[in-house]
Formats: sequence, C-alpha cells, structure tokens
Amino acid sequence: MTDIEYNDCVDNFADGVYRFIVKNIRHTEDAQDIVQSAFEKLWVNRAQVLPEKAKSYLFTVAYHQMIDHIRKSNKMPLEEETSIPHQPINQGQAELKQLLMRAVNQLNPTQKSLVLLKDYEGYSYQEIAEIMNLSDSQVKVYLHRARLILKNKLSAYAPTAS
Amino acid sequence: MQLNESTYETIFLLYIDNELSPKERLEVEDFIADNPIYALEMEALKATVLSAENIPYAFKKNLKNQALETSVEELEQDWDTNYTTILKEDMQAIPGLSTSFKNTLKKETASEGKIITPFRFNQHKFTYAAIAACLMVFIGYQQLTKIETLPSAASPFVKTEISKVSPKTNQPVKTIQEAISKSQANNAGKIQRKSLIQQASIAMAEPTPDNGSLSQTVMKEMPRTYNNPMTIDAIPLTISSANLDAEPTEVEKELTSYEIIDTEDPNRTIYIANFEIDGNKFRGLTRRVSALLKRNKSEKEK
Repeated sequence: MTDIEYNDCVDNFADGVYRFIVKNIRHTEDAQDIVQSAFEKLWVNRAQVLPEKAKSYLFTVAYHQMIDHIRKSNKMPLEEETSIPHQPINQGQAELKQLLMRAVNQLNPTQKSLVLLKDYEGYSYQEIAEIMNLSDSQVKVYLHRARLILKNKLSAYAPTAS
Repeated sequence: MQLNESTYETIFLLYIDNELSPKERLEVEDFIADNPIYALEMEALKATVLSAENIPYAFKKNLKNQALETSVEELEQDWDTNYTTILKEDMQAIPGLSTSFKNTLKKETASEGKIITPFRFNQHKFTYAAIAACLMVFIGYQQLTKIETLPSAASPFVKTEISKVSPKTNQPVKTIQEAISKSQANNAGKIQRKSLIQQASIAMAEPTPDNGSLSQTVMKEMPRTYNNPMTIDAIPLTISSANLDAEPTEVEKELTSYEIIDTEDPNRTIYIANFEIDGNKFRGLTRRVSALLKRNKSEKEK
C-alpha cells in the first residue's frame, strides 16, 4: 500500500470506523483514540496490507481494540447521544430511530457489533466472521437472535411511543 | 428454498440481511404477495435494520499529516541509498594503487613457522585400522575356539597306554581306543558305555600291586568352577583283550560320582531347601483355602 492509497483509506473509511466504534462504546474521545490507533497500525503494516483489504483490516483492528478497551474499563459508559450530531429527519422517523438505538444499546457487545457491521457497513456474514473472529454460522445465529430481540423490543416500545 | 410457516422467519431474516440471491429474493416477495399475513412480519423485521448515519471523524487531517511526516523520512532514506550508490560508482572509477607501491608500504614480519604434524589422522587410515582390528579379533577368536575344541588327546593323560602284555593271557594288550573300536564292532548295545569311556579325557593306568595285573581307572575331568564343582567319575576297569569282549560287571554299570567341594571358599553358595508338612495339616490348609475362595465367590455374587 502506497502513501496515496493510505490517504485514500483515511478519506473513505475513517468515518465508518469511527461510527462503528462510537455507536458501540458511546464515548466520542475513546472512539477517536481507537480510530487513531487503528490507522497507526495500518500505517505501520501498510507494506503487508493490500489496498482492497484495508477496510476489513481497519475494522478488525478497531473491533479488537474496542474489545480491549471495554475489558479494561469493565463498564459501558452511558454517555448520552446528544454529543453525536444527527441529520435532520422528520418526527416519526426520529422517534423510531431513537427507539431502535435504545434497543440496540441493550444488546450484548457481540450482537451490537454484528448489527452495526451489518447495517452500517453492509458487510456479509463471511466478512463479519473474519472481522470478529467468529464462524459464518455463529454470525448468522447471533445476528438473527439480535434481530428477533430488537423486533420484540420495538413491538414492546411501540404502544408507549404511539 | 422452501417457504412455509416453520422456515419463513429465518428466510425473512436472510432477506433483510441481503444474504439471498436475486432469485430467492423474488421468491420471498412472491410468497408475501400470496400470503399477506406475513407482510406485517416482514415489516417488523425490516424495522430492526439501522439506517445509515453520517457521523464524520474530525481528525482525518491528523492521520494524513502523520503519513506525510513519515513519507519525508522515507524520502531521506531513498536519497541516502541513491547517494551511496553514486559514491560507490565514484570509488570504482578511481584507479587503485600499484602493487609495487603497496609492497613498499608493507613492513617486514617474522617468518611464519611451519607446523609439522607427525601423524595426520584421516578417514582412509581410520578405515584400515578398523579392518585390521576386526581381523585381529576374528583370528584371535578362531584360535581360542580351536583350543577349546581340541580333542581330549591334548591332555597328557589321554594317550597313556595300558600295559603291552596282559598277565593272564600273555597276549599284547591293546590301547583303550583300539579296545573300544573292537567292542563297538562286537556289541552295538555296548555303544553307550564305550562312548563314555571314549569321552573320558583322562585315562589313567593304575597298576595294582597284587598279581601284577593292571587295572585302569577312567576319570572324567570336569571344569573347576564355583557353580560346577569338580566331579570325578571313577570307573574301576580292568581292560584287557579278554575282558573287553565280556559283559560289563555290576561295578562298571554303576558310575560312582564324587563331588569335591571347596568348603573354605567364601564365595560359594550352597542352597539347601527342605519342606515338610503333615498330611492332616495339609488337609486343614486346603479346607481353609477352599472356604476362603467360596466366601469371596459368594461376596462377588452378592
């Protein structure tokens, strides 16, 4: 990977990695640190990383650093999402989105990472399995369980929201 | 793909995760169109999918700067490598000093001593030495085995001839070997006894004082070892041309065995074992053992 390709990676993937981390740990500064260290690692190992594998590499490194961070802190900081800027959306969508995020935050870290990688980044089961060091079938089962949990939670929230 | 009540949920989840092929997606959509009751289920699952959000990372510039700083270092390294190649080329372009000039610069040094090695051990010599050693061992072994297998005639006592003339018949007395060969021809049943005589390593002629007759004693010499003490089989035998043809006497039949034990030898071990038991005691002992076995058997069965 050349320097130009590395800079392209920063332009293309930094936002996605940051979004994935900040949605998981809900702490902007820690998420920024994790993103920075992930890109540092990519820079150090750029000779071994192919440009087409750079995104997967970044997410893998960031995911493992996030797991280390969670283990070290041994707690999930419950920072309010007010610090994260939102795009202007209409009222109904905003309510639904808030409900969904509240439900996602109640998932365990693995299920949460699976949902975020699938929905935000559009990774396939196989790619998620490589990033999270799981098998394809594990990804499928865990993700389906997470979806069903979210569905049940949304159906429970829906009457109160309405 | 079979869509029914039991499989629809899994297939719907695969549908919203974009893990189905276009053909399979069409099948799902057709299934929902045919069964509108599953449309709500699909909508509920679709609601669990997070919509894309734009959360920008504000420090991209820092990450890029880091790259640029390091790239400058790389440029320096590249320049260094280029410069060293240029220097090498210049060095090669300059002609070297002549050898005569170099020799003038040299200083006298002490003459080098020559190391003389009296014996250089190489592989060929080692092979010859090994072959010679093997031959020596083989020849020595052969010599030893020859000595061991020599006939008893090697003994100074073996070829001791019995007296030439028998006192009774006044006929020439034959040697033991001749007598044995003759007796073998006469009586096949005597072979065993005669071979015993033939095997005797010591034939000692012992003249009796009375009548001037000769009686011989054939002695077996056994090796003197601790485990096999010397045993002498003494056969009083009067060998003459007359009595060799006759039947062996009772004394000849019974071979008396004597064992000389060196009782003062500290290394000698004599094993003595004696076990006596009364018949009644033995019966009592067998009863107890059988009762014990029966008891164990009954416990196992339980």
